[in-house]
Amino acid sequence: MIDEKVILLVEDNPKDEELTLRALRKNNIRNEIVVARDGAEALDYLFARGAHAGRDPGALPAVVLLDLKLPKISGLEVLRRARAEERTKLLPVVILTSSNEERDLLEGYSSGCNSYVRKPVDFNQFAEAVRQLGLYWLALNEGPPPTGRT
Amino acid sequence: MTRAPTFDEIFATMSAASVGDAAARVAVPDDPQLDDLATRFAIAVNVLLDDLALRSAELEAAHKVTQTELERQVAERTLELANVNQELEAFSYSVAHDLRAPLRSLDGFSQALLEDYADKLDAEGKRYLRHIRESAQQMARLIDALLTLSRVTRSELHREPVDMTALARSVVARLQRDAPERRAEFVISDGLVANGDARLLGVILENLLGNAWKFTGKRPVARIEFGVREEDSRRAYFVRDNGAGFDMAYADKLFGVFQRLHSAAEFEGTGIGLATVQRIVRRLGGRVWANGEVGRGATFHFTLEEGR
Repeated sequence: MIDEKVILLVEDNPKDEELTLRALRKNNIRNEIVVARDGAEALDYLFARGAHAGRDPGALPAVVLLDLKLPKISGLEVLRRARAEERTKLLPVVILTSSNEERDLLEGYSSGCNSYVRKPVDFNQFAEAVRQLGLYWLALNEGPPPTGRT
Repeated sequence: MTRAPTFDEIFATMSAASVGDAAARVAVPDDPQLDDLATRFAIAVNVLLDDLALRSAELEAAHKVTQTELERQVAERTLELANVNQELEAFSYSVAHDLRAPLRSLDGFSQALLEDYADKLDAEGKRYLRHIRESAQQMARLIDALLTLSRVTRSELHREPVDMTALARSVVARLQRDAPERRAEFVISDGLVANGDARLLGVILENLLGNAWKFTGKRPVARIEFGVREEDSRRAYFVRDNGAGFDMAYADKLFGVFQRLHSAAEFEGTGIGLATVQRIVRRLGGRVWANGEVGRGATFHFTLEEGR
């Protein structure tokens, strides 16, 4: 059951993407990881449109790892739009970002994120954070039931 | 007026003018007798009073212009300051995101090499990679310290009574918890309450107590005190330690940004902590100073403008 869960990683930096994927792999997290490289692509995936038009819109990721600073549409805007739609309003979203600026924390939580994790520079700490996130959101956390039209 | 003025009338007018009656003039006949001394004197006094009134009006007009000009300049400077602050805010925000990402790459891929290519690297190669990792992490600490420093100037002050005793105790509790193997004696005075911004006061204690902890690292038992003394009728807080101390000859460098009095090999650090403390203390209306002796510890003192 756990292995069917998909992780949506929204990350524009290819090096951070590689490091995150490596950290997940090293921790034996073998779930499918979909990578969206900007805010528009993330929304296309979530709403099964554009490049992801063929996808089943009812099948949502178990968790979204969301970077804040993205091209085209910002992370916070992605979050807000996801929360505004019936189908995605309960979707677990973890903000994963370099910033620990208070205003990002405030805006993130106000816009409805479930969790806010700062990306450390130290790779060992980063890998540990990714490991804990994977274990928690994929194994321990109970996801929300499906909502909206299927 | 048909008759010549009297000297009494002249003196009465001068009196009136001197206490602020700007319109006071001596009454003089339309066809004055200029061989009469009182008449000539009255005319002279009237001319002087007219002149005085003119000068006063000019001065007042000039003053109004200066006042308006000054107010305009103040408004202009205030706007400039608001713009600068906004730019600083945006700059700091960019730093938070953009400078950390490449550092994460440096650290992450060095670690990846160490892990995935361990068999292809000799001990020297691994050592080089560890240097790269340590440097990236040091730079990350510098960025964090600089951001904290910039936040000191940016943030709004919220003055309130702050329990300094409790604050100090929580800081040292965390220090001890993160290094349980270290033996330390903490002497923190009870009931210390300061009037100021709680967050900024917390940063002061984190830095001063953190430094005391760091520089007593080589002592078998660290002794760190936090208390308050009377200094020139003002309360001065102090943090005293029995650590490595410093050479008073370089005391003026202590609070400079990136200034350190010990090498990185002896004690790690960013060289920004004390600059941050000084900026906060100044912002809170006080001053900070230190005295110490090499090998015999140091004491850092600070005062605050505690207001009403």
